[in-house]
Amino acid sequence: MKIVVAYQWAPDPQEATVGESGTVDFSRAKPAMSDYDATAIEVGRAVASAAGASLVGVTVGGASVAQPVATKAALSRGLDEVVVVSDPAFESAGTLPVATVLAQVVQGLGDVALVIAGDTSIDNGARLLPPVLGALLGWPVLTDVQTLQFDGTAATAARTLPEGVQTLSLTGPAVIAVSADSAKPKAPGMKDVLAAGKKPVTVKSAADVGGAPAPEGVVRSTAKPSGPARKGIKIDTTDPAAAAAELLSALRAAGALS
Amino acid sequence: MNTYVLVADSPAVSELVASAAKLGRPVVAVVVGPESVAKAVAAPGVDKVLWVSEAAGQAAEAFAPAVADLVAADPGVVFAGRKPAERVLLGAVAARLGAPVVAGATAVAAEGGTTVVTHGTYGGIAVATVAYDGPVVLVGDGGGALAGGGTAAIEAVAATPGPISVVSLAPSTVEAVDLAGAARVVSVGRGLKSADDLPLLAGLAKALGAELGCSRPVAESLEWLPKDHYVGISGQHIAPDFYLMVGISGQIQHMGGCRGAKLIVCINTDKDAPVMHQADYVLQGDLYDLVPAITAAV
Ligand SMILES: Cc1cc2nc3c(=O)[nH]c(=O)nc-3n(C[C@H](O)[C@H](O)[C@H](O)COP(=O)(O)OP(=O)(O)OC[C@H]3O[C@@H](n4cnc5c(N)ncnc54)[C@H](O)[C@@H]3O)c2cc1C
Repeated sequence: MKIVVAYQWAPDPQEATVGESGTVDFSRAKPAMSDYDATAIEVGRAVASAAGASLVGVTVGGASVAQPVATKAALSRGLDEVVVVSDPAFESAGTLPVATVLAQVVQGLGDVALVIAGDTSIDNGARLLPPVLGALLGWPVLTDVQTLQFDGTAATAARTLPEGVQTLSLTGPAVIAVSADSAKPKAPGMKDVLAAGKKPVTVKSAADVGGAPAPEGVVRSTAKPSGPARKGIKIDTTDPAAAAAELLSALRAAGALS
Repeated sequence: MNTYVLVADSPAVSELVASAAKLGRPVVAVVVGPESVAKAVAAPGVDKVLWVSEAAGQAAEAFAPAVADLVAADPGVVFAGRKPAERVLLGAVAARLGAPVVAGATAVAAEGGTTVVTHGTYGGIAVATVAYDGPVVLVGDGGGALAGGGTAAIEAVAATPGPISVVSLAPSTVEAVDLAGAARVVSVGRGLKSADDLPLLAGLAKALGAELGCSRPVAESLEWLPKDHYVGISGQHIAPDFYLMVGISGQIQHMGGCRGAKLIVCINTDKDAPVMHQADYVLQGDLYDLVPAITAAV
């Protein structure tokens, strides 16, 4: 039995530079795994060990996802092996094409009982990858999961909704997106990093998974975000009381405070 | 061709219905939930309700394949909110239609079979207008309750649930917060040294007549405030008259949830924090000096 963790190795848009016309340049941003995916691996490790399953990491992305620094970073967090689909064509592919390839890899692995993913992607934040992946596989999907138990066939999951803590049961195979508070990922130690170097890595190209994805749309124009222009007025804080008074009168003048 | 709004358990979909109506096609709401929700959604602006009845103990997610079948019978552009079950229904439709997934849309138009969407990219650092061949699925702000007095027909649809069920719901003991609807919001970040200092912020919020929010780590790593209190791309999307950010660095994932605020004020010790370039009023200094001073001055 296998449990899969779908993870993302991508740069943080915080480090991208945005041109005047809204072009986005990631060339100076360093790709990494976000904390949310590290959390998913941590949860996956616990669940796989309890169920006696092996834990397989799967990712789809550009050239960087297949670099040893990337696969080792993932493996050192407790995965038993990784399968990476690496091709420039997947550099900034959308949710549907990425989910389509992930589904294909999961099906190819065989005997997968559960797919676990982090709850937010670092790029577009639509939080739809697990739902689309589950639907492509024809498996039930639950998101925002904080605690997860799995015995090999049935899973019990709990999550906090505004109305309270909801506990659900489901029978696998299934796709589960876990929230950031579902585990506290530990930083990998020296031993983990050394062990990671010896674990199996399978690299596939776009050609291995049915070819490069067709572009999802035609970009007609790009721009910088509109939204209200920010004034950037600095208030001197040497004297906190004076700063407070200045701020409050500015807010009142702007009608934001009565 | 129809435009769809997916509804899971909660009829708070006014923004989605308003966006759907702009495409100028019949608006069909696909509702998974009790009959009361179907009735609340049969509101002005909605032309038809397809209702999948959910019995007690069932999870809306269990009906995702059924919802995908309903939309696939006559595909069109699909809108849904960001709540967990709403996203699962929307994902099922995207997979069935082979439709692109779009978040953060600010404008949607239909040009024949082409759907033209203007949306934020990479969490909102830039904006793109993209022409998609065929329908797309859009995830966005649900909005509030719909107006009463609608005449849309409700058509009950029989569906078999998938293998997910609700075992229990332990009602929340904390009061729910409506950040999205608040006129003023004060949020606190990791600049706060201890949960013991939260009353400082609660006091400021109270004095200003504001709701108290936070950054994601304060809710999810430190667990100092409930999860529905954090602002950002994966949390609450707010557009208050004014937003005061205290000890928050202003990473893109946070700012993606508050870009619509009319006025942003920040308090931060670090002159190089990203938020210092994204605010209307910048107070560089220690929150432990400035927060009490502002509270006292109101
Ligand atoms: C996929 C993904 C999704 C995410 N989604 C969200 C989201 O929806 N919402 C969100 O908020 N984050 C989100 N994040 C996290 C985000 O990237 C940031 O890590 C987070 O917002 C930082 O929180 P913070 O500003 O509270 O903490 P920090 O970044 O640690 O900032 C603390 C700030 O406090 C200041 N400070 C310290 N002491 C004081 C003092 N005494 N007085 C005044 N200022 C002080 C510091 O200068 C610093 O700027 C996401 C991240 C990822 C990868």
